[in-house]
Amino acid sequence: MMSRTEEDFELELRSLPGVLNVGITKHPNGDVDVVTLVANSKDPAATRSAASQIASLYYPEAAVVIEDANRAMADNNRREGPRVALIRADYDTSDGFCEVQLSVDGRTGIGRAGSGPLIGGAEATLAALRDLGYDVPYSLMTVTNVTNGRDWPVIVTLRSLANDADRFGIARSEDDLVSAVKATLDSLNRFLSTLEGRI
Amino acid sequence: MSSKNGSTAETPHESGDDENETGATLSSIHPEVQRTDVSEEDYEPWLFQTMLNELSERELGVGFIYAILELFAERHKLTDVAVVLVNDTFGTQMFRLGGESVTPEMAAHLSASPGVYCEPDNVPSAECDAVRTACQLAMSLHLARFSAAHDPLTNIANRRSFDEALEVAAARSARYGWAFTLVLVDLNNFKAVNDRSGHEYGNHLLRQFGFALRQAVRQGDVAARIGGDEFAVILSNAEGHESSGFTERLRGHLVTLGNPVEFTIGTSTSPRDSTDPGELLRLADGRLYEKKGIRIS
Repeated sequence: MMSRTEEDFELELRSLPGVLNVGITKHPNGDVDVVTLVANSKDPAATRSAASQIASLYYPEAAVVIEDANRAMADNNRREGPRVALIRADYDTSDGFCEVQLSVDGRTGIGRAGSGPLIGGAEATLAALRDLGYDVPYSLMTVTNVTNGRDWPVIVTLRSLANDADRFGIARSEDDLVSAVKATLDSLNRFLSTLEGRI
Repeated sequence: MSSKNGSTAETPHESGDDENETGATLSSIHPEVQRTDVSEEDYEPWLFQTMLNELSERELGVGFIYAILELFAERHKLTDVAVVLVNDTFGTQMFRLGGESVTPEMAAHLSASPGVYCEPDNVPSAECDAVRTACQLAMSLHLARFSAAHDPLTNIANRRSFDEALEVAAARSARYGWAFTLVLVDLNNFKAVNDRSGHEYGNHLLRQFGFALRQAVRQGDVAARIGGDEFAVILSNAEGHESSGFTERLRGHLVTLGNPVEFTIGTSTSPRDSTDPGELLRLADGRLYEKKGIRIS
């Protein structure tokens, strides 16, 4: 069980600007050996100085290591390709069909599906993605309109056709149709960006 | 289909049970990992019981988060688990089983989506969401408790918690005769520094002064910022003359920090001077102003 002092020590470190994670390595005798901070601070030198000061108050013997997450985050952002955007989503109440138009990198794709704005919206989104040329190895499993007391988001679950993990997406928008489309895109968007080269 | 919280669901294919809705795998974190943000079932009996047990022992805080991760890992035989919390007040925070550090690469991926990441990935998402909610609550409560008791600029005790500490020390002194010395510290000409060099520099000096105070006090002493440039210290088990050791340590730490601030102190000792907190403050204040050459009525 952590002592109150240890808890406050960690909280103080976590309160420093940009600190994302604190790892504490202890010697077998219980002394704190190394304190590792992972931070995406704008001023890593200032974070290092403040963290060292705090550590010196609680554990003067401990070494403080700052791991800079800025580069990893920049790499992560660079790896992401262009995102698929929703152009329009229409629901025809007379036949229960939805039509969804998407675009990516100046190309557009259109998909149509029945079964109402929730299932229809998600299925039409998958169809529009395939129309754009994506190989989407997922099928629609559930579309759920959830109330959690604050708002009404839609959650989409896609089942992998390749035995990979299921994917989940969530979105809240002006109506069920747009929420279903955006939730479907949310579940796939970063996945799709990694497939850019295959199109 | 209607659920207990009034939600509706459409199931185009065979509906999956909870076992199909799992958290993400920590070791296989990949840019496409997506976590849902809503729980359909917030109540987990084991979690609730753990919170009650913890609350009976102490307040919820960072330690509770690690305790929960430990229990969660045991319960599902997880080799690793991390929770990512996001909040306007504390930003993004990641906690990993056993207080282990995450790598920067892991942090970059995890920061995109708050949630619970498990290894192996075999936990129902509703339980992951409940764990995340409990951890979020513990972090918020700890931060709120810390903020309520500490001065945000210097991270030493604020006026309110200082007053409480002084009440407790005075009561113990009255009852058991335990001695303590109250030291009031006033920075000299600090207003002029602020006016001349700006508030940002002034705040920097105050932060440094707070840090030097924390270095100068011993375990069991209380250091507080009780006004703009006024600080107070309760030196436990110390008679008045012992405050000189504290003053020397404080000066030494300020020199090391290169902080040019000079200060004046006034002291009072309990039970010798009084055991009334108000009287002790008044006496120390009077002595401080006497040293500054200011007569107060």
